[in-house]
Amino acid sequence: MTGLRGNAAIVGAAQYKPEKYQTAPQMFHLEQVADLAGQALADAGLEASDLDGLVINGPHFHEASVFVPAMAAEYLGINVNFAEVVDLGGCTPVGMVWRAAAAIEMGLCEAVLCVMPARMAPFGPGEDPAWMAQAMRFGGHSTAFGAPEAEFDLPYGHMGQNTGYAMIAQRYAARYGYDPRAMAKIAADQRTNALANPEAIFHGQPLTIDDVLASKMVADPLHVLEIVMPVAGGAAVIVTSREVAARTRHRPAFLKGFGEHLAFKSPSYAPEMTDTPIGVAARKAFSMAGVKPSDMDAAQIYDCYTITVLLTLEDAGFCPKGEGMPFVREHDLTWRGNFPVNTHGGQLSFGQAAAAGGMSQVIEAFTQIAGRAEDRQLKRCDQVFVSGTGGVMSEQGALILQGS
Amino acid sequence: MAMQKPLPVATEISRPFWDGLKQGQVMLPRCDDCRTWIFYPRRHCTRCFSQRLSWQAVTGQGRLYSYTLARIPTLPEFADEAPQALAVVELDEGVRMNATLVGLAEEEIEIGMALAPVFARVNARGDTLLRFTAPGREGQRDETPTLALGEDGKKQVPFDDGAALASLVTGEFGGWSNELTVDQALVNRFADLSGDDYWLHTDPERAERESPYGTTIAHGALVQVLQSRLSIPLDFELTGYATMVNYGSDRLRFPAPVPVGSRVHARARVKDAEPTRKGTQLTLEVHTHVVGEERPSVINDLVILYR
Repeated sequence: MTGLRGNAAIVGAAQYKPEKYQTAPQMFHLEQVADLAGQALADAGLEASDLDGLVINGPHFHEASVFVPAMAAEYLGINVNFAEVVDLGGCTPVGMVWRAAAAIEMGLCEAVLCVMPARMAPFGPGEDPAWMAQAMRFGGHSTAFGAPEAEFDLPYGHMGQNTGYAMIAQRYAARYGYDPRAMAKIAADQRTNALANPEAIFHGQPLTIDDVLASKMVADPLHVLEIVMPVAGGAAVIVTSREVAARTRHRPAFLKGFGEHLAFKSPSYAPEMTDTPIGVAARKAFSMAGVKPSDMDAAQIYDCYTITVLLTLEDAGFCPKGEGMPFVREHDLTWRGNFPVNTHGGQLSFGQAAAAGGMSQVIEAFTQIAGRAEDRQLKRCDQVFVSGTGGVMSEQGALILQGS
Repeated sequence: MAMQKPLPVATEISRPFWDGLKQGQVMLPRCDDCRTWIFYPRRHCTRCFSQRLSWQAVTGQGRLYSYTLARIPTLPEFADEAPQALAVVELDEGVRMNATLVGLAEEEIEIGMALAPVFARVNARGDTLLRFTAPGREGQRDETPTLALGEDGKKQVPFDDGAALASLVTGEFGGWSNELTVDQALVNRFADLSGDDYWLHTDPERAERESPYGTTIAHGALVQVLQSRLSIPLDFELTGYATMVNYGSDRLRFPAPVPVGSRVHARARVKDAEPTRKGTQLTLEVHTHVVGEERPSVINDLVILYR
């Protein structure tokens, strides 16, 4: 048996309340890193001097495009024995946490800050917001000379995430059938969870299946209310050794298993686009942890779209392939239900703070295990499955977290 | 840059694919060693990593692997295609490619349906994209923007039509203007007007002795403004605006002298044309040459603002 021994744990977390970009505070990314680090340390009951590892996002880091960890460590005022940049889109938070745990178990370090700023930085005197919006119009797509997507996708208008996920959903429908009400129920159940989470951007705004189905069709078969809402935010967690975890304030969430898989950027080139990379990643994670999907008390599933949740339920093994729609119809996915999914509301109802959005799932797993989820606290929560998804199902990862 | 649909930029690796489309032919690389078909084009076989690949013509027939109808444009420039029928097509050879469907009603589109290639020429330069449709409807398709012609035969371009404006942008210069002689009297009048009476422009005797050109030369600024006396043929005219003003220059260079007594002429191309919040900015790259000289005497990226 290779893999983690389960001796590293999430012990502290910090997360900005999701806000609209227009009204959110603007802060330098370095400033956010320090602010989130301070909050996460306080949450854990640790000192800055305890930190000896740093994992940070490289892409989209405002103040630097290279040498990001060194700049951030210097700004924080810490020394580290492990420094890492993760570039996995929405799967970055999951990728950060297992890398931190692996480094700890390898003996490189004892306490690792995993941090992702996602509020906008202030505009410089020469920076024109309109011009910057223009520069961002291709989003995550490379326009570099020689980039395959610049040459073979963008000229046809194949860009953005919506249409990629929509094409996966259409093919799923052709292979297995499709129940729009079951898909809408994923969004509606998660909204019920958000109603119990005052931090969620859609807190206080109930949503029904009919509301979802009546919302605008963006790209068939995806309605706008099946698609995440981009928000300003940012998040951090602290991962430590078992020894350091013993002197923190909350019940730690030990990392028992993980998996990661990627094979393509455009799902058009996947062997079969409806068989998603989470299958390989989740099997690895469950086998490493020595548990099975039915052992989980909750699933915090990366939910950029409803279809992502459906395919993850199937491919991670919570139900057989092709039976996700009946599974969703027959289960209550809320925090009160018989199969709790995304108990914080998911990114669909909590908000998606760029690539830091996936950290909301990691933090919710920790919060539930620590018994600190207040109104939405699960009666029993000892084992949680967490997934991360980047791009158009192009990079996916899984974590198994356990309280003990 | 004008906001227009992105175009493919061929690389040394991919060029036969795009050149093939211009000829109405789908070309794919295939591994000489393990016979695997490759798409998108690469230098290596993705199955056996051999670098011995050959380009082969294929039929372009295939099946619809998946699709969506994008009801909100993926980029504003694609609004004219709404809803965009974005498709993943699996060719008979087994490779998949991202493309669009054309000539199909929404209810005709079905995953698994047979598809045939459409070679869509998208601009005057001949750039061709590969689209797909039902068998029997395949073939060439001209998507070059067409503009109404005025009584004078010029393309009529509504000043706020971004797509029509973008179609004017070209790397090719138009025809030459009339010719004009720049004589000493003209240069002297400009010297009076501007106050620049440096001997290099105004003293033919000293210039004959001391100037590297052996004669006086015209002020660069004079040759620049003489553009107003040169009628540069353009094959379009903007319509529908209230005012047109000279908004200045993005670039102004005087790379070569104009010896007094020379004849000059000019030609132009549309370098950029873009609707902005302030109005439409049309950038004409105007080159003024001494007749017969290859090197321009004035390069002026003239910006004209239409409102």
